[in-house]
Amino acid sequence: MKDNGRFFFGLGGVALVVTYLMWTGVSETMMYYMTPVELMARVEQDPTFHQVGVKVSGRVELGSWTREKDEVLHRFTVVDLLDESVRFPVEYRDILPDTFNDTETVDVVVEGRFREDGVFEATVVLAKCGSRYEATAEELLG
Amino acid sequence: MILLGELALWIALPIGVWGAVAGFVGGRKDRGDLVLSAEHSVYAVFFLLILTSAGIITAFVTDSFEYWYVANYSNRELDTFYKVSGLWAGQRGSLVFWALLLSFFSSAAVFTNRTKNREFIPYVIGVLLTISCFFLVVLLFADVNPFERLPFAPADGRGLNPQLQNYWMTIHPPTLYLGFTAFTIPFAFAVSALLSGKLDARWIVITRRWILLSWFFLANGIIFGMRWAYEMLGWGGFWFWDPVENASLLPWLTATAFLHSIQIQENRGMLRVWNMGLVTLTFLLTIFATFLTRSGLIESVHTFAENTTIAFIFLTFMGVLAGICVLLIAWRYPRLKSENQIQSFLSRESAFLFNNLILLGAAFSILWGTLFPLITEGLTGQAIAVGPPFFNRVNLPIGLALMALMGIGPVIAWRRASRRNLVKNFLMPVIVGAGVVAWLFLQGVRHGMALLTFGLAAFVLTVIVVEFVKGTKARARIEGEGHLVAFYHLVSRNRRRWGGYIVHVGVVMIFTAFAGVAFNREVTQTLDPGETITIESPFGHEYVLTYQGLSSPRGGNMARQAVALMTVERNGQPFEPLTAEKRIYFKWESSPITIVGINSMLLEDLYLILDNVNDLVGAFDNDAGSQRATFRVQINVLVGWIWYGGFVVTLGGIIAMWPSRGSTTTASRSKTKTGGKRSALAVRG
Repeated sequence: MKDNGRFFFGLGGVALVVTYLMWTGVSETMMYYMTPVELMARVEQDPTFHQVGVKVSGRVELGSWTREKDEVLHRFTVVDLLDESVRFPVEYRDILPDTFNDTETVDVVVEGRFREDGVFEATVVLAKCGSRYEATAEELLG
Repeated sequence: MILLGELALWIALPIGVWGAVAGFVGGRKDRGDLVLSAEHSVYAVFFLLILTSAGIITAFVTDSFEYWYVANYSNRELDTFYKVSGLWAGQRGSLVFWALLLSFFSSAAVFTNRTKNREFIPYVIGVLLTISCFFLVVLLFADVNPFERLPFAPADGRGLNPQLQNYWMTIHPPTLYLGFTAFTIPFAFAVSALLSGKLDARWIVITRRWILLSWFFLANGIIFGMRWAYEMLGWGGFWFWDPVENASLLPWLTATAFLHSIQIQENRGMLRVWNMGLVTLTFLLTIFATFLTRSGLIESVHTFAENTTIAFIFLTFMGVLAGICVLLIAWRYPRLKSENQIQSFLSRESAFLFNNLILLGAAFSILWGTLFPLITEGLTGQAIAVGPPFFNRVNLPIGLALMALMGIGPVIAWRRASRRNLVKNFLMPVIVGAGVVAWLFLQGVRHGMALLTFGLAAFVLTVIVVEFVKGTKARARIEGEGHLVAFYHLVSRNRRRWGGYIVHVGVVMIFTAFAGVAFNREVTQTLDPGETITIESPFGHEYVLTYQGLSSPRGGNMARQAVALMTVERNGQPFEPLTAEKRIYFKWESSPITIVGINSMLLEDLYLILDNVNDLVGAFDNDAGSQRATFRVQINVLVGWIWYGGFVVTLGGIIAMWPSRGSTTTASRSKTKTGGKRSALAVRG
């Protein structure tokens, strides 16, 4: 009986530790996942939001991508998927994925901080050329 | 052939429905004729799905672009190899492929049990065909028919995404699918046991190999995926914690838990409810993984799933199945309750239970993290995401705990371990583990988690080696055999146990490789031909890479290609040169593909990325003035051990699954079951 008690104590302990790890894991690594429209509204309301790490999903504006000469520094513009008037410039200092480009529709998720000067400083860029995976009949014809 | 395939798909559905009904009714009413007819339906569905798959492959190979699916995943110049793999390149084909594999395994399960375990078979067929029918219904009615025709025939297809034009990517999905579908067999037997009331460990004994087979394919599928990511994604990593990757890891984690908990049921008659729960959960997770991979639900939180019909159908199916299984288990609960109780905190069953709980904890945290944006958006209207830091934070301690258990589990006694047993078995491994940590610390390794990982790895490996040595010596002494012969007999007499230990060695190697990431190094530089990059590895080797320039060959499905050549010196000695490329594939002209150069050594990989060519068009034209390029060089520490560990896992898995002579009948199985316990103890003592 004494051993049974110890045993359940141990199992409960494991459950508690996993819960604790998940709890602290979420609270220390969570990021708001927003659209550009939501991000703009949020920083308008609360300027301290410039300090907060966020994840934003949008689309790369066609022809907006430039690369600093001899440096790994990329600049491009992200526009909102629904409201094309909402956009912001992005700076990114790492190697871009192959799926990224600005000559066709590419959906991106950028992770980083929206600085006070209005530039989004990205630490992670994920790109998905969604439309390229599957096409409609009209696109195939064209 | 193509039309025949389409026709076969339509015929398969009514036959499958008939077979499922005949199976259930035949089982209920004990009607042999109906059961026989159900068995024939299983074979018929398999045959029809072969025709369907052959039809799709024919459509690919003959460039029949009037089919939407072919037009989207192939083009004329594509290698035939990749055309054939078009069967599983996209959602539509892979659903057919899933159904094909399931019907293959169903036929194999029915065939191998044609003269035994008959009391399970009617319901097993019922369950298997029900699941097959589900996939057939999805294929035919959820707007994903692979034989859908376009109103016109395009001159050429859109081609296969170049990132999928890689060897590992062609074998990664089928391997995972083999793992997913193979797990349906144990699930079907479990449901059959619940329905027929044969609730002892028989269903586990019968499906043990299937469980191992599924686990084996899942493990390999995941490793192949890592290999693909490492070679193809061009950033030197092998795991992203991307929703699709997580989805494939989830059933592997619960299947691992299940593999261990069934041993408690077999040996001690405990955990019967738990095992029913785990087999159901794992099966549902295999369906969930298929669904997540193929629906795009998670990536598109802010848009909408591209095909909401299919999402709805899948979720409903999973919900209904989960509900039925819960009801069945609840119905049988009074008869499932255990006869035995855990006797001691310090016992093997206790170690296994901890292993189960920790694995489920890992699975739960990964599921939670993957679905977190959906959950938070649903609850608060604002999506919140967690990324790789979350998964690493939670799963690193979990991984370490699992490693510790891998060392403890094999040598701690069933029921109740004595203090003597503990000291005797653990003294040496603990000393070796501590010694390794101390030695590495003196060598200048200061990364706490990595030290802990290496120490635990040494501990586990010592435990396993000692077990092998003791077992061999005991056998050599008792049977009077030479050590090699004794070793061979030792392993072949209890393949599952010793194969399992070998799998553990492989897993430990893979975990050790993960810890190597902490020591990776990288340098990024822009060079003209003749200039060099220098990088020193944590093992003290100095690599000097000299850029020799770009060349532009052409071949296969590639429109253009720029290959950068680097000569390499290691510690001042000439070393194997490396190349890295930018490729442009036909139909994908706007997205150049990066091909990395890898020189894999025992302890470290030299990894070269051609990040950017200042004037790529000029480089394609072999213009001598367009050679300036930006490179990243990485030293990836211990990465190779993932693949070596994968080989060891494969080896151990094959040993554990290998059919032993005369063991296929359940009678001899159950005999070894009771006898095996004692003999295992004897060998250990």
